[in-house]
Amino acid sequence: MTHEELREIYELYALGVLSPEEKSEIDEHLERGCAECGAGVRRAMEVSAMFATLTEQVNPPKRLRKRVLASIGAQPATSRWTSVWAIAAACLAIALVIVGLKTTGDLDEARHQLRASNEQRDEAQRELLVSRSQLSNVREALQFLNEPETVQATFGGGKALPPRGRVFVNPSRGVLLLASHLPPAPAGRTYEMWVVPKKGNPLPAGLFQSDAQGNAMHLLAGPVNRAQTAAIAVSEEPESGSPAPTTKPFIVAPLAD
Amino acid sequence: MFLLPLLAAVLLKEDPDLARRLKNRDPQAMADLYDRYGRITFALIFRVVRNEAVAEDLVQETFLRVWNRVHAFDHEKGALGPWVLAVARNRAIDYLRSAEGRLEQSALELEKLDQPGLFVNMENSILNLDRVRALRGAFEKLTPNQRLVLELAYYEGLSQTEMADRLKQPLGTVKTWVRTALKLLRDELGEAAVA
Repeated sequence: MTHEELREIYELYALGVLSPEEKSEIDEHLERGCAECGAGVRRAMEVSAMFATLTEQVNPPKRLRKRVLASIGAQPATSRWTSVWAIAAACLAIALVIVGLKTTGDLDEARHQLRASNEQRDEAQRELLVSRSQLSNVREALQFLNEPETVQATFGGGKALPPRGRVFVNPSRGVLLLASHLPPAPAGRTYEMWVVPKKGNPLPAGLFQSDAQGNAMHLLAGPVNRAQTAAIAVSEEPESGSPAPTTKPFIVAPLAD
Repeated sequence: MFLLPLLAAVLLKEDPDLARRLKNRDPQAMADLYDRYGRITFALIFRVVRNEAVAEDLVQETFLRVWNRVHAFDHEKGALGPWVLAVARNRAIDYLRSAEGRLEQSALELEKLDQPGLFVNMENSILNLDRVRALRGAFEKLTPNQRLVLELAYYEGLSQTEMADRLKQPLGTVKTWVRTALKLLRDELGEAAVA
C-alpha cells in the first residue's frame, strides 16, 4: 500500500479494527521507524480519544469511586473535611509567616517557614488520608461481620508459608476477603478473586492488590448464591484480569455446606 | 449524544502533576484521576457493554491498569486523558469480543494499542472544547450510514468485514462509507486545529 492509501486507515488501526493484512503493513512501517506513519497513527489515536466525548452521559453509581480506590488499597473519604482542614492549616501557616515577616523582616526565613509549614500540612494530609482509609475499611468489614447470615471460611491455616486469612460470605451483601502475608503482585500482574460454584467454572469476582505490608481487603458487593458456592479462590493474573483463572489459585477457602 | 456535563471534568486543564503523583503511588492522585475521568470512562464502557455491573467491573479494571502501568508513562510528555480513555475503550471492546465469541481478534492486539508509551507528544489539549465542537459538527454532517459504521468500529470494535456482515452490505460499500466518514472528520478537525 502507498502512504496515500495507508493515511486512509490510520484511524482504523488506532481502533484495532483493521484486517490482519492491513494491520501488519502499518506495523511494518512503524517498526522501521516510518515518521509519516508514526505521526499519522498518533493523530489517529488523538481522534480516537475524542470519540469518547461523543458518548451519551450515564452517571456511574457512587459506590464505584470507593471500589476503584479500594482496589489500589486506598479509600479517601468523599467528605470535603480533609480539604477544609488542609485549607485551614495552610491559612494558619500563611498567617504565621506574615506575623513572622512583620516581626523579623527576614524574607528568606519567612519563605523557609512557609515551605516547612506546607510540607507539614501535606504530610498531615497524607496521614489523615491513610487513617481515614483504614477506618473506612474497618467499618465496612465490621458491618459485614455483624450480620447473622454471614458465614466465614479460612485459608492458609497450618501452612508454613503465607498468605493467610478469611473470607466472609453474605448472601445479600457479597464476599469479603481479608488476607495477610500476601506480598504485592509483581509488576504487570494482579490478584483476582473467584467465586467457585459447586457446578461450573469459577466466576470472576474482582481484582485487587495487597499493600506494602502484605495486607489485603477485597469486597465483591452484591448478592451471592451461598448455597451454590463451593469456595472462594484467588489467583495471580495479568493486570487486566482474566475471564477464567490462568494460574492455579493459591488461595482456596472452601465453604462448609 | 454529546452532553456538556460529561465533558466538564475532561475539558479542565490537565493537572501536569497528576501523572507524577500517580507514579509516586499517591492514593489521592488516584482519587483525583477518578474524579476527572471516572464519569466519562463509565459512560464510554457502559455504551459498549450495555450492562451496569459489567461496566463497573471494567471501570475498576481500567483504573487499576492505569495505576499498575503508570510507571511506564511519560509524565512530562504524556497525555493522560487519551491514555485512560483508550484503556477504557479497549477493555470494553475486549469484553464484548469475548462475550460474542469474536476471539479471533486477539486481546493482545488491543493491549498493544493502549501502551502508555504511545501517548506521548500529543497535543497538550486535544480534548479542548473547540476540537470537540468540531468533531460534533463533523458527525452531524455525516450520513446515517457513515455515522453508523464509525459507531460500529468505535463502540463495538467491528472490522469492516464484520460490519459488512452485520449490515448485509457489500464490503466495498462499507469501506467507502468508512473512508469517506474518516476523511470528513480529518478535514473538519484539521480546520479546527488551524483555526
